[in-house]
Amino acid sequence: MLTNTGPVAKLYLSIIDDVIESMRELFLDEGLEDRVLDDLKHLWESKMMQSKAMEDFRKNNINSANFVLQLPANYSRTNQALTVVIPASQNFHSFPMKNNSEMLPTFSLPAGLSYPVQIPAGVTLQTASGQLYKVNVPVVVTQAPAGQPPLSRLVQKIGERRDAPAPQSAAAPPNTLYRPQEAEPPSLPATADKQPPHPKTNFPPAQQSSLPQPLLVPPAEPSQPQPQPSVSLEPKVPLEENEPRPPPEPVNLSMAASPCSQLLDFQISTEEALTQTGQLKTRDIDDILKEVIEEEKKKAEMARNLAPAKTDNQSEGVLGLDLDFNYSELSDIVQLDGPAGNSDMEEEEPVSLEDNDFLGIINAEAIKALEGGDGSSDGNSISSSSDGDGADELDNVEEEDPLNSGDDVIEQDIPDLFDTDNVIVCQYDKIHRSKNRWKFHLKDGVMCYGGRDYVFSKAVGEAEW
Amino acid sequence: MAYQLYRNTTLGNSLQESLDELIQTQQITPQLALQVLLQFDKAINTALANRVRNRVNFRGSLNTYRFCDNVWTFVLNDVEFREVTDLVKVDKVKIVACDGKNSNAAE
Repeated sequence: MLTNTGPVAKLYLSIIDDVIESMRELFLDEGLEDRVLDDLKHLWESKMMQSKAMEDFRKNNINSANFVLQLPANYSRTNQALTVVIPASQNFHSFPMKNNSEMLPTFSLPAGLSYPVQIPAGVTLQTASGQLYKVNVPVVVTQAPAGQPPLSRLVQKIGERRDAPAPQSAAAPPNTLYRPQEAEPPSLPATADKQPPHPKTNFPPAQQSSLPQPLLVPPAEPSQPQPQPSVSLEPKVPLEENEPRPPPEPVNLSMAASPCSQLLDFQISTEEALTQTGQLKTRDIDDILKEVIEEEKKKAEMARNLAPAKTDNQSEGVLGLDLDFNYSELSDIVQLDGPAGNSDMEEEEPVSLEDNDFLGIINAEAIKALEGGDGSSDGNSISSSSDGDGADELDNVEEEDPLNSGDDVIEQDIPDLFDTDNVIVCQYDKIHRSKNRWKFHLKDGVMCYGGRDYVFSKAVGEAEW
Repeated sequence: MAYQLYRNTTLGNSLQESLDELIQTQQITPQLALQVLLQFDKAINTALANRVRNRVNFRGSLNTYRFCDNVWTFVLNDVEFREVTDLVKVDKVKIVACDGKNSNAAE
């Protein structure tokens, strides 16, 4: 088994011959010509020769100096600077001959010619024994190191990618496989490159371009409350765009208080949106947004006039605002679901609070996006504030009890575990186990290791698990 | 029917590739290709049973074992394959073995 020289190659070739011959009658019954079966055989053998499984066979049989070529009488060296060198071995009988003999003629280079040699199509060659061979495809022959096909890898790739019918190449014996068509290689790498790479999935940039878009994306799911926050949020953007953005440390109360009034307005608008649920379903979002924007604009103007008064009421109770306004702090206030003593708000809008929870979070994020990150930390705090205490408790629990994550069995290794190129395909006579000692009695196996093939009739092994 | 497990060898894969090419060029039908593969199964089973006469010993460590549908699948590590004179060391090898007692059954 381990001596992979002639025996394995001969076995393979004999199997190929058996299969081809046994299929000949069936092919004839199908109305197919012998040419088709011959093509199959050529393809099969060429692929086997290209693979490493037959490497030793090639190594033992290819002799670079064993080429004898007799060019046709009308061959002109000036026109065609080449000689056909078709490697042949007297032991190699798999390539078909027109006379069906098992012996290939040997070819050798005429004096004065050296590798590489190019053979254009249409050249007719005559061997020393008088047999004629016509080269149907251009052939380039190079001298490979002993036992090493210079372009075997390329040939394999070519074999995999070529769609051209194989019979054309079958006319040339194996050495042509080493350099099948020199014109093609330049295109093949190109085709290889042209193989579409995995398309890079570009995350839609829209989420950074404008505020409304990301907010609209999450509510795409068909849940009734969710679209409404997006609808109501939309007007917030144009409002803030129209108004001068309050600085982080606002100078006057009126400027700083405008967001608070806007928050109240949004609550009101949300309530109105809730009442119009039925209508919202049937109307386009764009139309809805436009209407809401217009309404908000009007309310904003009114709110500005009433801002100081509202501010006083809100700062003490509901929103907990400080006079020393900070826009980032305002985002902290938007906690409509918490126990912040929003008794008034709760009475007024008992139903909408649940929706406003989501609203509050979105508003904070909107503020954060508009401010370009000034309120980012606070925004994060807002998003977690609603969960706030619960999350902290979970974290503490996790720290105290890591849940023995180290005992987890990683499932990812299993697919890779069985993925190997070294495979033995065989039959078992007996598999025995004693505790963790295993004994294997195998037979009729084919082993592929490192691309090379080995065969055995019996294999006995031991292993410890 | 003979075991089809030998189709996953270099010889079997090259045959399947060749048949695929002929099917793509519409030189043969898929049904005919299947017949070729079935004939290949018979040929390789017969050849391995009758034309091969060598014995191999091996030793290693068993990583995983699996027995399903009367098919054993082993993964061994650090295996040494020893014939009369030769020694080959393999870091990882997978063994797929069908029941040899009922070799006439398909896989």
